[in-house]
Amino acid sequence: MSRAKIKLVYRQVIDESCATGFEKAIFQASYDEFLLKSQAYNNQGKFKTFSKTKANDGRANSLHYKLGFSVGHFIAQLNNKIPVIKDNQGNKISFDVANFELIESHIEDISLHKLAINYETRLLPLIEIMGEYLLLADDNLPEHGPVETFVLRMQPDMSIVSYEEINQPHVILSAS
Amino acid sequence: MAAAGPMIVDGCKKDASTKSSSTTSTSSSSTSTSTSGSCIVTADEVEGPYPYVGGESTNPLDRSDVTAGQTGVPLTLSFVVVNANNNCNVISNARVDIWHCNKDGYYSGYANQNSSLGVKSYVGETWLRGYQLTDSTGVAKFTTIYPGWYAGRATHIHIEVYVNGVMKKTTQICFSESTNNVVYASSLYSAHGVNPITNEADSILGNSLTDLANETVALTGSVSEGYSGSYTIGIQL
Repeated sequence: MSRAKIKLVYRQVIDESCATGFEKAIFQASYDEFLLKSQAYNNQGKFKTFSKTKANDGRANSLHYKLGFSVGHFIAQLNNKIPVIKDNQGNKISFDVANFELIESHIEDISLHKLAINYETRLLPLIEIMGEYLLLADDNLPEHGPVETFVLRMQPDMSIVSYEEINQPHVILSAS
Repeated sequence: MAAAGPMIVDGCKKDASTKSSSTTSTSSSSTSTSTSGSCIVTADEVEGPYPYVGGESTNPLDRSDVTAGQTGVPLTLSFVVVNANNNCNVISNARVDIWHCNKDGYYSGYANQNSSLGVKSYVGETWLRGYQLTDSTGVAKFTTIYPGWYAGRATHIHIEVYVNGVMKKTTQICFSESTNNVVYASSLYSAHGVNPITNEADSILGNSLTDLANETVALTGSVSEGYSGSYTIGIQL
């Protein structure tokens, strides 16, 4: 019945304009940690921004996952539900893993700190694409009977990052 | 949102000291063991690919017990942070971060880690990572499990030290192979077996035999009772 199994990623960008308590906590905790951990690649604070630090020392790319540890306990409080986006019935979408991404930062100016949390779903059965809407199911589809589905609109910052086509079973018709 | 600067802590003001009677000759290398005053400046080592990261003051990773459900032989480590530039006086409120792999050689927080025991992903988990601020006697104490090992490295634990929000030391410690081997023959570790990389053969630990000796923490205890040890981290303020 499903045409494919897909994996979605929603990218939640957080910067100084953050509004929710969750976003503020993530913003502050990751900035505090940036000030500490970036020193390993930026002796004496020679470079002010993450991008310049990274250009000078590629190992600074490890700050993505280093800073991720500092916000892990906030993400854990989401109970594997993506904030912000909902399906057409208003239900939150479950994610499997959340990856921290440091977009930019500045060791002397927190207002330039910007990051993203990338929420990745597990493989979801994709049943149909209807314009900008995806008809999806949560679980593996049964061979027979009704299927519980949900409808999700494709939107900015949401991507399909994995696509696995499913071969449709051959239907054998027999005449008696 | 208000701007925030580096964490300010009050360090380097205690009079109590842990001094050594060592008269080891001074080395000028910044990455090797050297003496300053009468204590050893801990050698630098690379941080490795799997650093621990702490967080803001309420971060639950600010914890003495970093075990977080991991099984293994209990290990208690006390780190004493001293200022080699100031008569080896202890430093309070220094942040000591540690992280290490579990009994099977995997780190928390990372995906697709390969070992002879299979490919494992522990994204979102933080076990065997933590940090503590040193107390008035300069001590940061951790309860953990004896680390396992992964291919290519001797058994080790990563350490970082921050004072007044400034990184002052990145290093690693190890244990004697005899202790490693006893632990790795015990029931929880035996599936992975003995680490084939010795401390001396390790590519990171000990730029010199003196460094290696100074990075090797003496432990007391047993598999059944657990092990404990103390390690003095000499930094220069």
